[in-house]
Amino acid sequence: MNETAITVHDVTAHYGSKKALDQVNLTVPTGAHFALLGPNGAGKTTLVNILCTLRRPDGGTAVVAGADVIARPTQARRSIGVVFQDSSLDDRLTAWENLEFHGLVYGMAAKPRRAMISTVLELVELGDWTHEIVRTFSGGMRRRLEIARALLHRPKILFLDEPTVGLDAQTRQRIWQYLDRLRRESGLTVLTTTHYIEEVENADIVCIIDHGRIIAEAPPEQLKKDHGIRWLHVVPQDATAAEAIVQRFPQAQRLSGTGLALPAGDDDRTDAFLAEFRDRLSEIRFHPPTLESVFLSLTGRELRDRADGQRDADRAAGRRGGRR
Amino acid sequence: MEAMMLLRGLYAIWLREITRATRDRAQLIGGVSRPLIWLLILGVGLNPYFRGEIYGEVRFVIPYTYLQFLFPAVIVLNIMYTSIQFAVSVIWDREFGFLREILVSPMPRPLILLGKVLGGSTIATIHGGLVLILARFADVTLSLQQMFTALGLMFVLAFGLTSFGVILAARVRSFEGFGVFSNTIILPLYFTSSSVFPLDPALTRTQMVTAYPEWLVFLVQVNPITYAVDALRGVIIGFNQFPPTYGLAVIFGMAAVFFVVALIDFSRS
Ligand SMILES: Nc1ncnc2c1ncn2[C@@H]1O[C@H](COP(=O)(O)OP(=O)(O)OP(=O)(O)O)[C@@H](O)[C@H]1O
Ligand SMILES: [Mg+2]
Repeated sequence: MNETAITVHDVTAHYGSKKALDQVNLTVPTGAHFALLGPNGAGKTTLVNILCTLRRPDGGTAVVAGADVIARPTQARRSIGVVFQDSSLDDRLTAWENLEFHGLVYGMAAKPRRAMISTVLELVELGDWTHEIVRTFSGGMRRRLEIARALLHRPKILFLDEPTVGLDAQTRQRIWQYLDRLRRESGLTVLTTTHYIEEVENADIVCIIDHGRIIAEAPPEQLKKDHGIRWLHVVPQDATAAEAIVQRFPQAQRLSGTGLALPAGDDDRTDAFLAEFRDRLSEIRFHPPTLESVFLSLTGRELRDRADGQRDADRAAGRRGGRR
Repeated sequence: MEAMMLLRGLYAIWLREITRATRDRAQLIGGVSRPLIWLLILGVGLNPYFRGEIYGEVRFVIPYTYLQFLFPAVIVLNIMYTSIQFAVSVIWDREFGFLREILVSPMPRPLILLGKVLGGSTIATIHGGLVLILARFADVTLSLQQMFTALGLMFVLAFGLTSFGVILAARVRSFEGFGVFSNTIILPLYFTSSSVFPLDPALTRTQMVTAYPEWLVFLVQVNPITYAVDALRGVIIGFNQFPPTYGLAVIFGMAAVFFVVALIDFSRS
């Protein structure tokens, strides 16, 4: 068996003159849970689209399950399962019809197909909804059905683009348990994208991506050790106080809302800061190194800081498979 | 083994179109009500005016009633509507993301398109076939062999027009845009295909131009649907205004050319 599931070399992508991916390089070992972490618009979906052969990179190469996505896309497609960021179900068909379609298109014979359909429906607890039209499903149910569908043909690599949006904790746990088992037993490789830090704590490798560039790639613990520092989060009493703080301590980062974050390393700047401003703060709190703080120190920004409107527009465009 | 897998995929894509069509009430209602309106109201209403006698000297020699004359054209009309409307299914796949599910699958692009077009043509042929149920009413009797020849031609015609619908879909961005588009295409093509009036073969060319203005005759002659209607008329009521090979050539030609263009469009995207 191949040791690396995915190799990405110098991949570049643009939309018009806008650069979405800038010389991305990464390697995903077989059987790993690889998490791509980045804020909205970082280029996660663009990278997933390239890896699942929906979009050609404008430069560089990508090899998925031993097949070059440009030269041998069909071979690559055989080995992958994809859950897109937005629904790609046919909502005029029933759950079963959607799965049956998928199984047939992947060339599965009747017997294993039927067996797998009940297995995956069971996994996502949609057994009672087998013959219901998907249009009547809730968002979370659709999501579950899509995950079931992506696993139906037993892919070697599973791409999950923000998979857990709209899923409750129990379902999420169930699905991860199943995926972990598949990873152990059959060497399934899982690549997820997310902007929720909590989701990547359990990943084997976390890759932080921002503005189309990979800015860090390591196991979560390693990242915390290398880039994590303590942060002091403060809420100034008023806007003038906030202004004054930023003036005196340019390293302060503005958080969403009225908060500010200051790196609280071992130096005495923290003491100096507190001595100077303690009376003009309404709240102070120390944060131990977390991935969130790793992210903050690497990018200078909080993770969720982009307007939702932008995101929706991008998603509508992304849904068309990269076509405008 | 490999071929078997591809056939399964082709079947899945075809079956999905059929399943979706059976759940689309509006389209079914259109497919049933359109022939009823055309045959019951227009056909019955104009039937008495169609015979030559009332024109005195210049006699139309078509030995058929208007209902019989109109009957094959209504089949073509039903096929045209359903085929071209098929573009909506293509736009739907693109806009609602299902296209990505198909495109990341190992199915080769040409087979994906073939499956979709076959699905669309099957639905259109069925809608055309609905008209055949009214044959008795229009005083048309068909042998089994005529029936199968007609269905075969209808299918090939539907295949070409469905491919045409796919070509349109690639050029239209929205559903709304498409609605306007399809109506401005279908009816003019239908009316200028010698579907509702004959170009009387009994008249010489000069006489024909006297009876009809030259531009209209020209439009009828360059409209490919004219020949499709003519071919079907030949099979169903045994009346041709042009050499029968023209119709066959046009029907098969459209199927081949439009499918290839649709394929080029589809592989490029
Ligand atoms: N179809 C498109 N047309 C133009 N620009 C696009 C298109 N799709 C994405 N972009 C741009 O490319 C960049 C990367 O987008 P991408 O969808 O890959 O981000 P993402 O990391 O998946 O974000 P999110 O977390 O919101 O899903 C964004 O700046 C976005 O504006
Ligand atoms: Mg995304």
